[in-house]
Amino acid sequence: MSSLFRVITRSTDSADYIALSGNIDASADKQLQSLPGMVDNQLVHFDFSQAGRINSMGIALLLRCFKQIREEKKAKIILRELNPTNALLFKMTGVFMLASHEK
Amino acid sequence: MAAADPHHILALFNDGADAEAFRPLLNDLPGLLSIENPPVKEMFAEKMVSLRLNPSLVILSSRLYPESRPELVAELKAIFPGAEILLVTLATDPLPPLEQLAADRIRHLLVTPEEDEQEGIFSLQEAILRLLVRTPWKLQDYVRPGSRVHEFPLTSSNQKEALIASLEETIRGDSEEMELLRQRAALLADEMVENALYGAPQGDDGRKLYCKGEERVIDAGEKISFRFAFDGETLAMEIADGWGTLAPEMVVDFLARNQSGMDEELDEAGGRGLFIIWRFMDHLHVNIRPGMQTVLGGHLKAASTLDFESPRGFSISTDYLST
Repeated sequence: MSSLFRVITRSTDSADYIALSGNIDASADKQLQSLPGMVDNQLVHFDFSQAGRINSMGIALLLRCFKQIREEKKAKIILRELNPTNALLFKMTGVFMLASHEK
Repeated sequence: MAAADPHHILALFNDGADAEAFRPLLNDLPGLLSIENPPVKEMFAEKMVSLRLNPSLVILSSRLYPESRPELVAELKAIFPGAEILLVTLATDPLPPLEQLAADRIRHLLVTPEEDEQEGIFSLQEAILRLLVRTPWKLQDYVRPGSRVHEFPLTSSNQKEALIASLEETIRGDSEEMELLRQRAALLADEMVENALYGAPQGDDGRKLYCKGEERVIDAGEKISFRFAFDGETLAMEIADGWGTLAPEMVVDFLARNQSGMDEELDEAGGRGLFIIWRFMDHLHVNIRPGMQTVLGGHLKAASTLDFESPRGFSISTDYLST
């Protein structure tokens, strides 16, 4: 699995599907900043199955991105396929206050 | 004039059951005077004076402070200004409220192991004895004797991924436990290196010299070095930088601010990285020689629980010198 951060998006009539892969850190800044602008629906699924390490800077960027999606697009966010370390990280940093975790 | 009391460790407990719970930890410590349900306010000061104590270390149970006696640390600091204060809590008890610990400048929190884990108790006793003689934590103390210590002096920010890959390779095994340890180790190393590369370098006005994500060359004078050792069960890691800019009083403050969760502004300046390091370690150690060096490290066991509720310990020392 490559550690380079990548975003793959697809949309249906009812939801947006966003897959994040690679490490999420300062290098993800630009791509995560532009993500809220790509959201068309009021339901957004984030797939973390190919995501690697997420450090504190990555958490800050995700929080900002999720907050923007909720406030500007009035969308509900669902997170999928988190590994145990990233799930704990999200719990302790308040990410789950913005997005629900589908186990 | 009566001679001073020879006890140099004072331990204060809420009641007999509280003292009993910590007995395995404190049993063999030399020079320990244990007091249960200490009197309040002026009577507390009178009792301490009447005992003619001059302790180097005061051990406080988290069942006594801060919950039932929030003023106790301020009183102790007034009576024994030279003593280190160590808060002890049981692994099964909730984490003491960090805001109060930050306000009272508590620098040492030890979490006793669950049940009768003799090895864990020995290492805690060792930590207590180190506080008495004011020597810093050593990475080798937490792994079996003879375990190899891997060292990476950093000359460029580009070395981070290679360093993390080497750490992951050292943690062998296909079990779920080892996979989790590799994930945690990689995250911890990432945060520790980022902290040394972008958090520690500060100008005279306290402003950060570099932005996170920026590629940078490390000057020889910065002396950033990452070390780790793994013995098959316990992983110990530390990073040293030659800046010494981390203010000791800010460490617990950072932990307290992040404990309450979400704020995307809390990134570089807010100490979220430090908070993550603390939560994923079993015990966090920070030794600061202001303007000269910060050493930040700790250890974690492969078998450690991965949850957010269990208390985690910390030790923050200033100017402790290696022996």
